[in-house]
Amino acid sequence: MRIESRQQFDTAVAAARDTRLSKGREVWVCCGTGCLANGSKAVAQAFDDRIREDGLQASLGLYHKTTGCHGFCERGPLVVIQPEGLLYTRVRVSDVPEILDRTVRNGEVIPRLLYKDPATRQSYAKYDEIPFYKHQIRVSMRNIGRIDPEDLDDALAHGAYAGLAKALFQMTPDQVIAEIEASGLRGRGGAGFVTARKWKACRKARGDRKFVLCNGDEGDPGAFKDRSIMEGDPHGVLEGMIIGAYAIGAHEGYLYVRDEYPLAVVNVQKAIEAARERGLLGTNILGTGFAFDLRISRGGGAFVCGESSALMRSIEGRTGEPRAKYVHASDKGLFDLPTNLNNVETWADVGAIIVNGGAWFAGWGTERSKGTKAFSLVGKVKNTGLIELPMGTTLRHILYDIGGGMLKDRPFKAVQTGGPSGGCLPADKLDLPVDYEILSENGSMMGSGGMIVMDDRTCMVDVARYFLKFLSEESCGKCVPCREGLKQMLLIFDDIVSGRGKTGDVERIERLCQGMQLGSLCELGKSAPNPVLSTLRYFRAEYEAHVGRKACPAGMCRDLTAYEIVQESCTGCHQCPKVCPTEAISGGAKMKHVIDQAKCISCGACFDVCPEDCIRFFPRAEAKEAAHANADH
Amino acid sequence: MGDAMSGYSCVDHGLVDAILERYPREEPSLIQVLQDVQRAYNFLPCEVLTRVSRELGVPLSKVFSVATFYKAFSLTPQGRVIIKVCTGTACHIRGAPLLIEEVQRRLGILPGGTTEDAAFSLHTVNCVGACAMAPVVIVGDKYLGNAKAAGLAAHLTRGE
Amino acid sequence: MPTLTIDGHTVHADHGQFLLAACRSAGIQIPTLCDHPAVEPYGGCRLCVVDVTRPEWNGWCKMVVACLFPVEDGIVVHTASTRVIEVRKVVLDLLLARCPDTPLVRDLAARHGILATSYVRNQQPTDCILCGLCTRICDRMGMSAIGSVDRGAGREIATPFREPPAACIGCLACAEICPTGFIRYESGTARRKIWDKDFDMLRCPRCGRSHITVAQADFFAGRGGVPRSYFEICDVCKRKDLAVAATRLACATETPAR
Repeated sequence: MRIESRQQFDTAVAAARDTRLSKGREVWVCCGTGCLANGSKAVAQAFDDRIREDGLQASLGLYHKTTGCHGFCERGPLVVIQPEGLLYTRVRVSDVPEILDRTVRNGEVIPRLLYKDPATRQSYAKYDEIPFYKHQIRVSMRNIGRIDPEDLDDALAHGAYAGLAKALFQMTPDQVIAEIEASGLRGRGGAGFVTARKWKACRKARGDRKFVLCNGDEGDPGAFKDRSIMEGDPHGVLEGMIIGAYAIGAHEGYLYVRDEYPLAVVNVQKAIEAARERGLLGTNILGTGFAFDLRISRGGGAFVCGESSALMRSIEGRTGEPRAKYVHASDKGLFDLPTNLNNVETWADVGAIIVNGGAWFAGWGTERSKGTKAFSLVGKVKNTGLIELPMGTTLRHILYDIGGGMLKDRPFKAVQTGGPSGGCLPADKLDLPVDYEILSENGSMMGSGGMIVMDDRTCMVDVARYFLKFLSEESCGKCVPCREGLKQMLLIFDDIVSGRGKTGDVERIERLCQGMQLGSLCELGKSAPNPVLSTLRYFRAEYEAHVGRKACPAGMCRDLTAYEIVQESCTGCHQCPKVCPTEAISGGAKMKHVIDQAKCISCGACFDVCPEDCIRFFPRAEAKEAAHANADH
Repeated sequence: MGDAMSGYSCVDHGLVDAILERYPREEPSLIQVLQDVQRAYNFLPCEVLTRVSRELGVPLSKVFSVATFYKAFSLTPQGRVIIKVCTGTACHIRGAPLLIEEVQRRLGILPGGTTEDAAFSLHTVNCVGACAMAPVVIVGDKYLGNAKAAGLAAHLTRGE
Repeated sequence: MPTLTIDGHTVHADHGQFLLAACRSAGIQIPTLCDHPAVEPYGGCRLCVVDVTRPEWNGWCKMVVACLFPVEDGIVVHTASTRVIEVRKVVLDLLLARCPDTPLVRDLAARHGILATSYVRNQQPTDCILCGLCTRICDRMGMSAIGSVDRGAGREIATPFREPPAACIGCLACAEICPTGFIRYESGTARRKIWDKDFDMLRCPRCGRSHITVAQADFFAGRGGVPRSYFEICDVCKRKDLAVAATRLACATETPAR
């Protein structure tokens, strides 16, 4: 039923609260991409079947729903039991009857399914007490994991569209912009442009036809906050966009979603349809006469389309080639009309800011970076997943208190932020508070909020090469510095990681970096040198080792590295031959293992699996020298 | 083009008709239409591209540019099962290169390639956003998290 | 009228004019490879980079491409600052690696002091610098017979499916605008061939010379209310017609009809 007045909206929310929040007991099964991959669909189905078959809804007042991503994907499938707030991790279908019997019926906790902190080995029963969640403050992710993203009433019961109602019924467009300005909100896609300033420019731009766009082309590898938001709380994004459209005076919008996020596409589409049906989207929104409608545009798999002008070309149905931005999108954007583009997370913040006020949001953060920010914490860290924290939190707090420290307790080497436009920060930067300026000043970037933790077994030259390869595949090829520069830079790096590095390579790289930074057309090319320059800045010795000694200190560049089994400590446990992809390791169970160097491809699988730490790697060049020396004798 | 053309005569135009019905006949629909065509046919047959060009009023050269620019599209038929190895940063540092090699070795195809019996195609994807479970391999529509090279063999058997 | 300073000279420019045109009108030469008056500016070759600043920016400069930067009142432009020259050199060095045998690229690089590329020479040297002039003029002509294909380092100019393009009318605009001669064609009395497509030529009914393709005449026939017969007569004969008409007119003036 369409909502056509303030009163009807309040009634609808009250009704939604009645039906959705007053349930006695609930089982929430996470069905985000991560948990689905771990089999949560079958778990959800099993709960559904059992509850229905056994009539538990009637007898126990038990309800069941699927939610979006809780962010703790690595531990999935995740199941939350309400009202206790119990979190069960890695739940299998076979656990379902036991959970219903012991926990739901008898109030018992099943210790086996609880989250155990890998750092302290302590078990936690309550969701809110787990260190991974305890430190978080969720604004853009406020409803993720709490609502069923396919159920508009559930969203309404949890406060969705309250900001929209407030904006439309109580505020003028200028007041909306003023509130956003007071919040200090800056673009969450990475560049950090002041949101209110962008809105103002677009509001002022001449023309009746304007567009509001959402950038859901989260292309930074290692970042997935936008995916989770679109999957888990699509209404939060829509609400922000409608408010933004109202403030700017736009009546049409597009949500550009990566094609690699199929679940996000489906959930956003369903949310749009549901919102339209209830009069939250379309003509005469909430009976106020304001009209705004929204379409999804699916990307075609091109990282460059995260760049605003390329994204607009892509929505127009063309190849994603950026344009010079001497004329701003607020004047000439999509179809050459005034356009405002914000990131998914930025839009998701808007509704909460309108409800709670700009000052509330600005209460978190640093001098120039206000509010909270979503990050995906991944890589060689114990707790990987999605987190939201106040700006200004230190990397150390994120890595150790939330992330639980380094995987396998290996030494920390670097954290990569900002994706291919960002950089790698070393250990002595761990106490830096994270905000836009501090990250850029230190050679990295906020970017999409990806934080990839790296240990001593990550080669920084290889990481730089990885990003170059990524970008050379993703460059649109329009301008010379980016197209040819990336190609040539990659060739130099290919030489370095395979032992053909020459003196002067590093200097050639630096010169090319400068040319690309200054000369490239768009941000992809301009920022492409960042991963190279930041690794050169903090890990130059690794480059020198590769070029000079033909050695990879991390043992990851395979052409430079050889492995051997230290015979004295090998217990013959037979783990390593099992994982060796080329059957290069001889020796049966209880026998000392030996690596056949002719067959070994230096993949390091044996090193990773050895429980006794008795596999060692060393520069291949040394092995050759030793062989020569032996031949001479 | 001769050989590659031979399979195209069996194109079912009913599928294209249904796809074209979903969108306005204009240039902005191009990528959306091609996405659906790719899904329906498993690749972009050149007959269909010519048809799409005509129906949407977009020059064929622009359709071809778009079809070759975006990674979601392919101009050659894909295998029945598509294997996507995620090469996002988290997956890379947790061993994605080994997984690609393993698939290459087992199936004898390079990324972008399709096995001769058209059972499998191998692709690399620049991050599927499942970084917390890195490294990730997607076989068909099944996500394999924390994938290990040794464990992939079970998913690469024919006759599923 | 915006007034700017370019390399120390005060220049008056027109509103909406691009900086490149303002520089050229002031007699300042800036190298370009992808700019052409027949098509919209593109910003792909990056050779026309210049530094732009304002007195109040305290020495901070931003680098822009002159071909796309609209002139602004009061800006100070440096077209040959150290870093501008350095960027141009990097660009030419990279282009020389791509097109090591192309005279235009070699000459321009040599003029910037680059005689050999410091990067890896292209394994399959090409003359195509991907300036996009051919595709832009083809779009402008309304044909859109050719386009860019693939992306990144693999990008190239090609016809749809790399087959003879149905939309091509053999007008040769792409070949004529191509600055390096990468686009080849054959044109004889009866046939013309470009992009692997054969065209029948049309003979001028006056002199018998083959001057346009039948497809061209068909395409232009009726455009702007001009009949096909107009396009069938070659330019040489049209000039002759003009001369004849002018003489007639002159004679008529000498001896008025009445």
